[in-house]
Amino acid sequence: MKTKHNYELKQLFVERMQKLLTDKKDFQDYLNILKVLPVKSIRCNTLKISPKDLKKRLESNGWKIKQPWKNYPEIMIVENSLEPGELGRALEHLLGYYYIQELASMLPIISLKPKPNETILDLCSAPGSKTTQIAAEMKNTGTIMANEISLGRIKILASNLEKCGVTNTLITRKEGITLCKKLKGKGFEFDKILVDAPCSGEGTLRSSPKTYLMWNIKTIKNLSRLQKNLFASAFEILKPGGEIIYSTCTHAPEENEAIVNSILKEFKNIKIQEIGLPIKTRPGLTKWQEQEYSTQINKACRVYPQDNNTEGFFIAKFKKIK
Amino acid sequence: MNYLKILNKNEKQEIIRKLKLQFGITDISGTFLKSGTERLFLFQGEYSHKKIKNIDNSRMGLERIGIYFAKFQNNEIRLSIEATHILKDQIKKNIFELNKEQVQQWMSGQELNIQTNKKTFLVMKHKEDFLGCGKASEHKISNFIPKSRRLKIKP
Repeated sequence: MKTKHNYELKQLFVERMQKLLTDKKDFQDYLNILKVLPVKSIRCNTLKISPKDLKKRLESNGWKIKQPWKNYPEIMIVENSLEPGELGRALEHLLGYYYIQELASMLPIISLKPKPNETILDLCSAPGSKTTQIAAEMKNTGTIMANEISLGRIKILASNLEKCGVTNTLITRKEGITLCKKLKGKGFEFDKILVDAPCSGEGTLRSSPKTYLMWNIKTIKNLSRLQKNLFASAFEILKPGGEIIYSTCTHAPEENEAIVNSILKEFKNIKIQEIGLPIKTRPGLTKWQEQEYSTQINKACRVYPQDNNTEGFFIAKFKKIK
Repeated sequence: MNYLKILNKNEKQEIIRKLKLQFGITDISGTFLKSGTERLFLFQGEYSHKKIKNIDNSRMGLERIGIYFAKFQNNEIRLSIEATHILKDQIKKNIFELNKEQVQQWMSGQELNIQTNKKTFLVMKHKEDFLGCGKASEHKISNFIPKSRRLKIKP
């Protein structure tokens, strides 16, 4: 089975996706959409310009702009065809008036609902798509701590924060679990935390075809351990009453529901929350292969590319009980 | 973060005094930090100096605070693109209004061959867009748009 990029889908990956998408038509729709490039979505940087003014400017450049979600006018799709790279070369992009971001990647912050004056930790923050989205929601108030382990990716993160005019953020470069331990040791706590964990990226196959080549089951199992430890460490520094989002851009249940399940078992003062999203989502799994998970996990959201013409994502939201 | 020094109240006031002379700016909220002798950063988050120092002393890998704001150059201050945007409502003097054609030149990194009769930094703008600072000299305005922010004009 080949994709439009001529990469072979690995047999085991196909089998696993078939188990997730048991309906034949659904599975075929999934395979079909992998051959289509994602829509050109952007997010208006409300720290610099209003959605209304940006839309007007972009339309005067001849672009056809659609705002797909009524309650989120800052989220836009460029519907007309553009030359390769045109979205990134436009003056409005160079001035930081919009951020190029895939629609599904905006969902974790829509779920987190950052508010002005909060203290928020973005534990795995590069390249900064979600950090800049948080800052915009907070109107540059409060404080964001944006952490990233890779120096190369920190440079990209810093450059994106700068371009978007984000002034309320501290950037740290530390392995996530170690950072959380140090923060705990010094008595730091956060109102909200985003753990957008490093993952196998199965949901990004449309825009990042290299994932086809890198995919293997060992990576999934190794990542699973790291993801669980990142989430558990972050939960320790969440304020009582605070909220935490765990998200990945993968479909693998070992990286999603299995992590959520082990956290629900480990901590007694945690409650999984319902999430209202402006797109079609499917409930988290309560069973995968031989594993049975808590029925509470059906409050988590699975986002499949064929449902909304996006990339794939997994999002779960929790509250720390006082 | 050893290379970033948090500026005290007096040092901040001195910067605002210079910015008032240069551009008419009178008030900037937040904390200024200096990197080396030239580069200035602005942090407008709510963490206090004490908290920031606590993070720094605890080896949490503090890499950056806030954004690059300005550079000291020959006893003057050159504002970054973001700084001109943040302070756009306060900038009252030494403004150069570009026309549409000049915006293309400016944002592609070219100097402008224009006589302004000034020898200082000018805030470059076009309508509501604030495009950083240029240095005016006898017959031109020198360009400081970083490469990553430049328009790529087709030949």
